[in-house]
Amino acid sequence: MIRLALGTLRQHRGAYAGTFFAALLAVALLVGGGLLLASVLTAKPPANRFAAAPIVVAGDRDVTLEKVTTKQKKDKSKVKRKVKSERLTGAGSLPVDLAGRLGDLPGVAAAVADVAFPVQASTPDGRPLRGADGAPVIGHGWASAALTPYLLRGGAAPGRGEVVIDADLAQRSGSTVGGRLLVTTKTGVHTMVVSGVAAPAGRNGLPAQGALFVADGEVATVSGLPGPTAVAMLTRPGTDPVALRAAVGQVAGDHEVLTGADRVRADLPGALPDYIGPISIFGFVIGITAFAAVFVLTGTVTLGVRQRLRELALLRTAGATPGQLRRLLGVESLLLAGAAALPGAPLGVLFAHLVAARFQELGAVPAQFVVRTNVLVIVAAAAAGMVVTFVGARVAGRRAVRIAPTQALAETADAPTGGLAPRIAAAVTTTAGAVALLVFVPLDGPLGMGMSFVSSALLLCTVAALGPLLVRALTTPVSRLVGVGGPTGWLAGLVSRAEPRRVAAIAVPLVLMFAINATMLLNSALLGQLAQREQQDRTAAATAQVTAPGGLPLDTVERLVALDGVTGAAATLPTRAIVEQGGKPEDFASQGLLIAGTEAALDLDLRAGTLPGPGAFAASAYVAGQYGWRVGDDVQVWLADGHRVDLRLAGVYARARGFGDLVLPAELVAAHDPRGLVGTVGLRYRGDVPDRIAASWPGLRLAPTLAAAPANDAQNQQGAWELMVVISLGFTAIAVVNTFAIATAARRREFADLRLAGATTGQLHRLVDREAMITVAVGLLLGALVTAIVVGAFSAAQDGTVRVVVDAGTYAGMLGGVAALGLVAGAVPARVLLRRRGLPALGDRR
Amino acid sequence: MGRRVVRETRLDQAFPMGNSDGTPARGLVVEVLDVTKAYTGGGGVRALDGVSVGFEAGSFCAVMGPSGSGKSTLLHCAAGLDRPDSGRVLLAGQDIGGLREPRLTEARRQRVGFVFQSYNLMESLSVWHNILLPQRLAGVRPDQGWAREVIRRVGLTGREDDRPGRLSGGQRQRVALARALASRPEVIFADEPTGALDLSTGREVLGLLREAVDQTGTTIVMVTHDPAAAAWADRAVFLADGRIVAELADPTAEKVAAQMMAVTVR
Ligand SMILES: Nc1ncnc2c1ncn2[C@@H]1O[C@H](COP(=O)(O)OP(=O)(O)O)[C@@H](O)[C@H]1O
Ligand SMILES: [Mg+2]
Repeated sequence: MIRLALGTLRQHRGAYAGTFFAALLAVALLVGGGLLLASVLTAKPPANRFAAAPIVVAGDRDVTLEKVTTKQKKDKSKVKRKVKSERLTGAGSLPVDLAGRLGDLPGVAAAVADVAFPVQASTPDGRPLRGADGAPVIGHGWASAALTPYLLRGGAAPGRGEVVIDADLAQRSGSTVGGRLLVTTKTGVHTMVVSGVAAPAGRNGLPAQGALFVADGEVATVSGLPGPTAVAMLTRPGTDPVALRAAVGQVAGDHEVLTGADRVRADLPGALPDYIGPISIFGFVIGITAFAAVFVLTGTVTLGVRQRLRELALLRTAGATPGQLRRLLGVESLLLAGAAALPGAPLGVLFAHLVAARFQELGAVPAQFVVRTNVLVIVAAAAAGMVVTFVGARVAGRRAVRIAPTQALAETADAPTGGLAPRIAAAVTTTAGAVALLVFVPLDGPLGMGMSFVSSALLLCTVAALGPLLVRALTTPVSRLVGVGGPTGWLAGLVSRAEPRRVAAIAVPLVLMFAINATMLLNSALLGQLAQREQQDRTAAATAQVTAPGGLPLDTVERLVALDGVTGAAATLPTRAIVEQGGKPEDFASQGLLIAGTEAALDLDLRAGTLPGPGAFAASAYVAGQYGWRVGDDVQVWLADGHRVDLRLAGVYARARGFGDLVLPAELVAAHDPRGLVGTVGLRYRGDVPDRIAASWPGLRLAPTLAAAPANDAQNQQGAWELMVVISLGFTAIAVVNTFAIATAARRREFADLRLAGATTGQLHRLVDREAMITVAVGLLLGALVTAIVVGAFSAAQDGTVRVVVDAGTYAGMLGGVAALGLVAGAVPARVLLRRRGLPALGDRR
Repeated sequence: MGRRVVRETRLDQAFPMGNSDGTPARGLVVEVLDVTKAYTGGGGVRALDGVSVGFEAGSFCAVMGPSGSGKSTLLHCAAGLDRPDSGRVLLAGQDIGGLREPRLTEARRQRVGFVFQSYNLMESLSVWHNILLPQRLAGVRPDQGWAREVIRRVGLTGREDDRPGRLSGGQRQRVALARALASRPEVIFADEPTGALDLSTGREVLGLLREAVDQTGTTIVMVTHDPAAAAWADRAVFLADGRIVAELADPTAEKVAAQMMAVTVR
């Protein structure tokens, strides 16, 4: 059987090659996406700062809530515990006396109170200190040096007003012993002298974090922390680790005791590469690529099987049962996909590396991220590609294998047309799913982008299920328009109307290409526009914005806003805070806010209440709505270091985009965020305030509000998003070209017949071009429809305005780009096929 | 019997003009002069080896020969579907060897119609549109009255809107014939037009070809290996190994069969 089928391979090279190619790319995408996600999920911290300390006690690193529900069932009551936690962006601190108590345990040589805090350091001429790949600089007391250990390479341990920096930082900043550094923490700007340079054994510094050590006596004043963020123990040789761990656990109480690889969790969260963002980015990448790959692959397989109906009928005449044909299609698809996986897998590995490198360049993924080649993922992705091809072939062959043997004798074989019922059922299900998502998911929330992508994917499935029907309805008017003038136009219209399935098979990838990418681009453009507009509206009231390279300490800001002539000021400290609902903690981008003066320098568009004073906070309308809060409610808020406060909701505001969902008192944020620095100060002033600011604080930048740059974070996000669209554009474009090529390759005979009927090669070219125009127009119409539904709903959810085009340039670019690609993809294969002089295929009919 | 009479009348007029010994004759529609054609594949087969033959206006000629003797190749070269390696082909006096595309296609669709064993109809077009297709492609206003008349003659009235896929083999071959006739070509080339048809359907198609010659003066060149089919023609030429080896005027099935035996045994 298989040999029989392979014997016909030559005639169906087009279909086989197309399916093979689609499977190859699909496997490559699945492997690539899978490797990226697996690598980011299993990403290990690049180094352990506690390498020399076998056992570490850490302060809080997350907020963990336990929800206990009791169910009364007859006479038994059932207790259910659900534990949910949310990571902190800062680190909780430990009691000051804990180190002393742990140091007394037998087997402990020393218990070091480890303090880790982010610092902004720069040379006196303003060059900021950054580690390799822009790694942050973390401050510690000199005692912590023993935990890695860092050993002095030159100079001496720090005394008062002195620092030791690691050799990597020294090299990058050109600092030497005796040089000066400006060290900014939330406690202020400290001018310090470099007393020494230290390094871990065998390297200049740890990857991903630069180290700056201050005198142990000075840690508290420089860091502003109430206690150590961890206590790390150096042990005596021969100590039983299990017994020691138990003993430490006794003393540590609620605090976590960490050993082995877990010890890195005792470090400051900001000192470790952050994989939370990349996890969602790569999750999205695999979501998009998997959907596109599966969608395209099933379409291609279906097209390939349809083109071989005649051969299937011939096999039926030769005595094959439907069951045998089904097995034939199944085995053949497995062989094809298996063969495609061989080049597909290495291509996927390459793809993962390229994408990771690009994301790293954009700063959306930590520089320390490495793509690990995980054989399990590769095998799973290849298997997934094979399963999809197999299922696609079986589904496409579902009716085809029941083809009547007599169809072999007919000119073109036609499978029994199955009932419309399954198609309509599938379409109704996917449409209902899409509508439900668009209606019930709050699209203005964090899930908005993801869910609008899913709903456009569902609508695409609807289009695919109803393909021939939709195409039939659209082709008639479209072909009337395109088909005017000349015999080729007339013929193109007739042929397209006669072949709705072929038109649908080619149009669906065009719909996919337009809808998926336009939805992502337009939605993100919309968010960008809205965020920019809200940013402008928020800050318009201020005359100028004051910023400093690393941020401003709050006390500096307090002095600045008290300057004579400042009539209004609003200082914001970016942070994250956690609130809880139903036992589930969730963190939100937040701002600490300091207001001064009589004139407003920040307009949050308050919808209720007032801006918060001490002991109070404000929430965005979105969060207040989600959590059901009203002004005057008391709400538990966890700050970045896990400190819990009860705050009263003072106001609800609307302009939260690019800002944050919670507004907290500045003092509170400054005290509990590890960084705790003011990002920007919006100012209104009279007179020569700028001159006096420049005189008192030469490092500050004062810019008119209009020229203020958007937040850097938003730019990273935008870049990552655009890269995802590029990947998906690339793949869907290849799918369009591939589908056109498969469909055209099967028309050799039809073209020969037309030539016999008197068509010149030029006329065939024009015919194919007109047909491509009809197909592209149908595809774009359907694509625009899907896009309009999703983008319209997304836009309405954002601010009540239904927009469809959002950004005319992007929209026109997508329309023009997809149309141009479709026309070229339609024109080229036919020209290649017809390039041979004379009449094609007169000799090799059948 | 009526048919027979008509045929004889034609023969009386046609025979004096038909000739095989190369003397110039009145109105040769197609003239093949010393044509050779070899295919590169399969050991360099000489499909045609110095063939010269002329087809007169208003005549019906059968090209006979065993399979692989070069019949189809001769037809393709004579019709301008393929280019000979050497020699000349004159279509209505015009040397088509010098024509480049798309002139060649234009000349062909102006003067030539085709009927093939495999019908070669456009599946996506209705019978009516298939029949008008060559005229549309030629950019001329289709003669719809004549098309309807042709459809009536081939007995397809009422099936105009059907797709070829819903017709029987014989009906499809009639559509192909109607298409060839609808554009009033000077010559129709038919390659085994009855090859895929049953006996009686084949006879009907042959009758229609005969009728086209008799009633509209169309020239027909028909390739066949069936002596009974050749008997409908005015003349039969015999090919073997790419050469013309014999010729018969006023062929009957018996004479043709005997000649075929001789050719095949040779
Ligand atoms: N496209 C082709 N490529 C190679 N050889 C061919 C081709 N077409 C025909 N031939 C060879 O040329 C010879 C004549 O073929 P053809 O004219 O089709 O014969 P007939 O029609 O008399 O059966 C045969 O030997 C055949 O194998
Ligand atoms: Mg032949």
